[in-house]
Amino acid sequence: MNSKKTDIMVIGLGLAGMVAAARAAELGKKVVLVGKGAGSLTLSSGGIDLWGYSLEQPEKPALSPRHEISRLVERNKDHPYAKAADVLEDSLAFFQAVCRSAGLPYLSNGLGNWLVPTALGTLRPTCLVPESMAVPDLQQVARILLVGFAELKDFYPAVLAVNLQKCGCLPSGCRLDIADVRMSGREMNAVTLAGRLEQLGVLEEVVAQIRPHLTPGTLVLVPPVLGRARHRQVRENLAALLGCPAYEVAGLPPALPGLRLSDALLTHLKRNGVTVLSGSTVHSVRLDEQRRRCLAVQLAGPGGRLEVQAAAYVLASGSFLGGGLKAGPGLVQETIFGLPVQFDPDGWACEEFLDRRGHAFNSFGLRVNENLQPVDGEGRVCLENVLAAGAILGGSNWPVEKCGNGVALTSGYKAGQLAAGGV
Amino acid sequence: MSGMDKRDYPEPGAESIARPASAGGAGATCAGGSAAQGSHAYDLDNCIKCTICLAHCPVSRVTDKFAGPKQNGPDLERFRLLEPAAVHPSIVYCTGCRTCEVVCPSGVPVAAMNSRAKAQYVARYGAPLRDRLLATPDVAGRLATLAPGLINRLGRSNWLRAAGEKLAGVSAALPLPRYADRSFPVLYRMWRRERQGAGVNSRSSHGVTGGEKVLYYPGCYVNYNQPQIGLAVLDVLVASGVEARVEEFPCCGLPAISAGLYDAARHKGEETLRLLKPYLEEGYRVVTTCPSCLFTLSQKYGELLGLDLAGRPEQITDIFTYLLELKEQGRFSLNPAPLPLRLAYHQPCHQRAMGCGSPSLDVLALIPELQVVDLAAGCCGLAGTYGFKREKYPVSRAIGENVRQAMEQLALSEAVTECGMCALQIGHLTGARVYHPVELLSRAFAQAGQKG
Ligand SMILES: Cc1cc2nc3c(=O)[nH]c(=O)nc-3n(C[C@H](O)[C@H](O)[C@H](O)COP(=O)(O)OP(=O)(O)OC[C@H]3O[C@@H](n4cnc5c(N)ncnc54)[C@H](O)[C@@H]3O)c2cc1C
Ligand code: SF4
Ligand code: SF4
Ligand code: SF4
Repeated sequence: MNSKKTDIMVIGLGLAGMVAAARAAELGKKVVLVGKGAGSLTLSSGGIDLWGYSLEQPEKPALSPRHEISRLVERNKDHPYAKAADVLEDSLAFFQAVCRSAGLPYLSNGLGNWLVPTALGTLRPTCLVPESMAVPDLQQVARILLVGFAELKDFYPAVLAVNLQKCGCLPSGCRLDIADVRMSGREMNAVTLAGRLEQLGVLEEVVAQIRPHLTPGTLVLVPPVLGRARHRQVRENLAALLGCPAYEVAGLPPALPGLRLSDALLTHLKRNGVTVLSGSTVHSVRLDEQRRRCLAVQLAGPGGRLEVQAAAYVLASGSFLGGGLKAGPGLVQETIFGLPVQFDPDGWACEEFLDRRGHAFNSFGLRVNENLQPVDGEGRVCLENVLAAGAILGGSNWPVEKCGNGVALTSGYKAGQLAAGGV
Repeated sequence: MSGMDKRDYPEPGAESIARPASAGGAGATCAGGSAAQGSHAYDLDNCIKCTICLAHCPVSRVTDKFAGPKQNGPDLERFRLLEPAAVHPSIVYCTGCRTCEVVCPSGVPVAAMNSRAKAQYVARYGAPLRDRLLATPDVAGRLATLAPGLINRLGRSNWLRAAGEKLAGVSAALPLPRYADRSFPVLYRMWRRERQGAGVNSRSSHGVTGGEKVLYYPGCYVNYNQPQIGLAVLDVLVASGVEARVEEFPCCGLPAISAGLYDAARHKGEETLRLLKPYLEEGYRVVTTCPSCLFTLSQKYGELLGLDLAGRPEQITDIFTYLLELKEQGRFSLNPAPLPLRLAYHQPCHQRAMGCGSPSLDVLALIPELQVVDLAAGCCGLAGTYGFKREKYPVSRAIGENVRQAMEQLALSEAVTECGMCALQIGHLTGARVYHPVELLSRAFAQAGQKG
């Protein structure tokens, strides 16, 4: 089997793994990053959720996610933030700097949350958003124009309009109108439409159909399809042609903002010397005799097998969706090292699909100490040079807490930094 | 099993976890003989409809003529369980780049499903003559090298190309690859005679050095278009104390696979294996310079054509992995001279699909003063013969736009990539001079040799 030596091996091409790799590379380490597939960032709305709702009143959006997190870590020592929130500000600053240099700036709304309209007409509290989603305060707008595309599947401006009107977040008298744009007639998905809009001629035709609906001071909302690699030009051209900016709502997968972020981070890593092995699966590991340290991991892809030996390993293999965890009748397993998983065999899910408490299986995962080293039930470190980050960590219920990318970002940053410092 | 494994790999975490009883699916379908039949019947249930494959497909990004990997793949595969002809006609727009498979988090062999669907479509509805001609670069190459000057001149004649576009559907916009004056096999024989004449290491004509037997597998592009890459390989290997053997192979069959012409591909594959097997059995290491050839031999033969390579997995490898091994063993006999160049690196899709990154980058990093910037701009769009087809040329060009822009943004005017066809496309889109990594290496070695 071929082998490769490196300082740090990161497992997982999701947000946690990419940020860990970026931080370790920034600290001068040689990094190998592997993933058997893309991470869930490519499915996410593209916003970085830190904390969505008030701890006491879970129906109320959190005004200050940082404040909620500082109180959360006081009362819930098992939450991943309790292990990683010490680097919260550093990790956000790092992320924003990387994104800015990659031409995809992420903006904060002061110290608070943005409330981004979703394709379903609800408002989603999220902490950092790309410029294209940095929608101004809806309380201040007199008229909203929703742009729909007849060819686009999965986006219905009428639904958005009805729900937005119902949500009670618009000032009284705010008008909602719809502009239905028609293009070639053939059905399209968001990815294809985004590619189409990168052509200036197409954009001009689209704008010609929107303009008649436009009055001064109107806020324009569009589905998240404003370009892929050339998103910046698309947005600038659109603003110039319309005479005002348009904002992307948070959409269903495949949603371009998450994809753009994933593309941008991957490009950043490759251009900064990180070795990226996509489409390769970690299938086994080699431990030392005392089973205290990992010596190497073994990968398999269509091109054969490869052993990677590293001083430290960051396990960012995600939860059930990513493949870091797998479930069987009455058991949950960590798939690579066989690390102990914290889970409740009797309480997997609530009866109601949309129960506010969230389904328990989302909070299954690894327990770690302050150094992000996985520990067993007694708190003993399992493998000294293996650190865990992201959705594989147990104790958070991201769909209801709205902290998925926040946890991935913060813990990924910390794991990359600790791994680079030597463990 | 969670259905996470693309193929019959050992269970992750095998040391500590017993395989759950619910295991099944993917492993069973891909092992041994059943892979030959190429059924993905169970794999399709691993698809969770997340659309990640669609989101990353370069063709879906630029055209609405293609139904996308998910719909063409696992969605229709369900219907194909009962009705093999359930293939969307847009399947012919798939380039076979394998991106969908690389990004699928659930281990669904999407690209293989699509390739097979295309073959079913072609078996039923036939392929244009053009596709059949483009599918045999070795035949074209052998003919062209009879009169390369003439062929190259004809290939650049505007009216002939216009006629070719009108009558045969071969796009006139893209320059045809130039044929070399002498094919690689001819040059190789000359090279060997010269060395023997000079009395260098006569034993090595058997490809045996230090007990290691090495065969170089050139592929059509080196054989007929860029034989200097093959000579560079021989020089680099000699500089490392290895003298490789060369055999004349037919095309590996990839262009035929891409055109959905599985019978023709199988024919090429069988011929290739007939020539290759004796070497494998004798324990030769086979080194390649074309990622697509390597991917075809090591992956597609078994997965799509039901052909059995029957070597040890590490027996066939790319030249760079092999050189890195030599380096590990301390067998690089020369230190490369500095090459003060700044180049863009483009990773061919099939290189990425192998899952081992780009070993060439690690080798190029050994050359002092050489700056290689990873473009990280995705597929170049040419996909072998795809971009030459009139109706696909615009798709191909639109896909390659990211590569063009990245070159421009990074202000790079020269590039390096392992795949000859990617090199052609990058040259076409940007006007850049494009090298094969082994050419740079051989240049650095030659310069060091002169100094030393
Ligand atoms: C549909 C959806 C929408 C979401 N929307 C949002 C949102 O808008 N905002 C927000 O903040 N959060 C959102 N989240 C949550 C958030 O995306 C995730 O919590 C977070 O991105 C997890 O990142 P991760 O890196 O830990 O894991 P993942 O992104 O799951 O990545 C895991 C990686 O590990 C790899 N891997 C696993 N096993 C192996 C192996 N054996 N060998 C090699 N590689 C392996 C996988 O291939 C993958 O690359 C959403 C999640 C989903 C599913
Ligand atoms: S990426 Fe894989 S699981 Fe997701 S839709 Fe495509 S084939 Fe299905
Ligand atoms: S192989 Fe490439 S072109 Fe074909 S469906 Fe997959 S991603 Fe798209
Ligand atoms: S894949 Fe290799 S052998 Fe096959 S046509 Fe291309 S260059 Fe020739």
